[in-house]
Amino acid sequence: MKAKELLLYLFLACGTNSMFAQDLLGILDEEQQAIPQYAEASFKFSRIAIGHSIETRKKGILDIFVANRFWNTPADRTQSFVADRLSTRIALEYGISDRFMMGFGGTTWDGLFDGFLKYKLIRQQKGNKGSPFTVTLFQNASYFSEAVSNPAVEDDLSDRLSFTSQLLIAKKLSPNFSLQISPTFIRRGMSYSEADPQNHFAIGFGGRYKLGGHVSFVSEYYYTTNPIESFDTYGPFALGVNWEIGDVMLQFMLTNAVNMVEDAFIAQTRNNFNFRNPNLNFGFNATYIIHFKRGLKNK
Amino acid sequence: MNKLIPIFFLFLLSGQQQQEKIIARQGRVAFFSYTSVENIKAENNQVLSIIDLSNDEIAVSMLMNAFVFEKALMREHFNESYVESDIYPKATFEGKIIDFDPAQDGEQTRMVKGTFSMHGVSKELEIKTKIEKVQGKYILSGTFEAFVKDYDIKVPPLLAGNIAKTISVDFRFEYQPYES
Repeated sequence: MKAKELLLYLFLACGTNSMFAQDLLGILDEEQQAIPQYAEASFKFSRIAIGHSIETRKKGILDIFVANRFWNTPADRTQSFVADRLSTRIALEYGISDRFMMGFGGTTWDGLFDGFLKYKLIRQQKGNKGSPFTVTLFQNASYFSEAVSNPAVEDDLSDRLSFTSQLLIAKKLSPNFSLQISPTFIRRGMSYSEADPQNHFAIGFGGRYKLGGHVSFVSEYYYTTNPIESFDTYGPFALGVNWEIGDVMLQFMLTNAVNMVEDAFIAQTRNNFNFRNPNLNFGFNATYIIHFKRGLKNK
Repeated sequence: MNKLIPIFFLFLLSGQQQQEKIIARQGRVAFFSYTSVENIKAENNQVLSIIDLSNDEIAVSMLMNAFVFEKALMREHFNESYVESDIYPKATFEGKIIDFDPAQDGEQTRMVKGTFSMHGVSKELEIKTKIEKVQGKYILSGTFEAFVKDYDIKVPPLLAGNIAKTISVDFRFEYQPYES
């Protein structure tokens, strides 16, 4: 009887011991609460597919960004290799601080030169504290460099400049799934017809679904509330796959947007999204990332 | 009366365990992956650790996204694609220092035996640890090796050459008395 009781005490004592071991981690859990945890990498790249995402580059990172669109002309037979037409935007994009980035680029097809600034205003926090969304401000300006043959069209510098302002709002709903809504205001420079508004309001929707550790599926669509009247325009739509491998990031997409600068593809996409030439574009973006800032002090 | 003895006994035991905890709030854990292609190093200077001197139990807890890498993008990849810190935010260790003598001044080398949990996988580990006691303060430090494969971390074949199969982990904790 005595021995049994003693065993019981011992057992209980052991029980409390393991309870206290739990407590040690419990104490550490409490200590950890104070540090705010932000949702990182809602999107991996500064673009979802065609448009900007809420993400900015971290301080000291330079993106060498080459975006390509390939498409065919409606002609039955052409002598082009693989694709009839190609447009490339080459850009340098740099993270000035962890929340502020800027970039400059030029596009071959439409002769647009553009620059943008992007600032991450509010960061989504994990748990129930803080902001449930990430909010990023985006502003770009583009310069239309092509010659204008119609003498009736004004083409001073001020006419050739277009501006796009965006409020990018995104939420990382789960580790795999992020959604973004982007209210957009566009001031279009060139005016080819009196009937066309030069100020456009648009709203963009984008999402990312992570298929694996390094691959995600993305889609994006922009709707313009007051489109151009003098010719038919369609909302740009994109379906794509983003793949990151170390310092290289590749994006593959199908889209109806030929242009790659915001004011051009949001308000001036002339193709609908279908499989008839020249509507479907294959997009291929490649980014090489260079780190100018080293994270660790002593190597 | 007979029934009160064990309760009293337990009380005594647990009462004794209430005190004598020491904590390290800015513990340092670093890991290295050396391959011919790329050397990767990361450091976390906010690792928490606590020791209960009364029963030699030790616990360590670290936030995976507090690891700082040489390249900012590596940190993002590490959290997003490898350790999935959204799902498994912490790595923890829970164990016991074998044959630990808190009273002994100077250096002693002891084995720390316990369970290390990371990326949803728990492993039994035995880590050789140097324990220093200088002016009443304890410092624990050591190195151990971890296999990437053990923790269910998937490395894409394309990057298999960039990430070592064994990761060497360094740690150093400086403790202060803990007041709850």
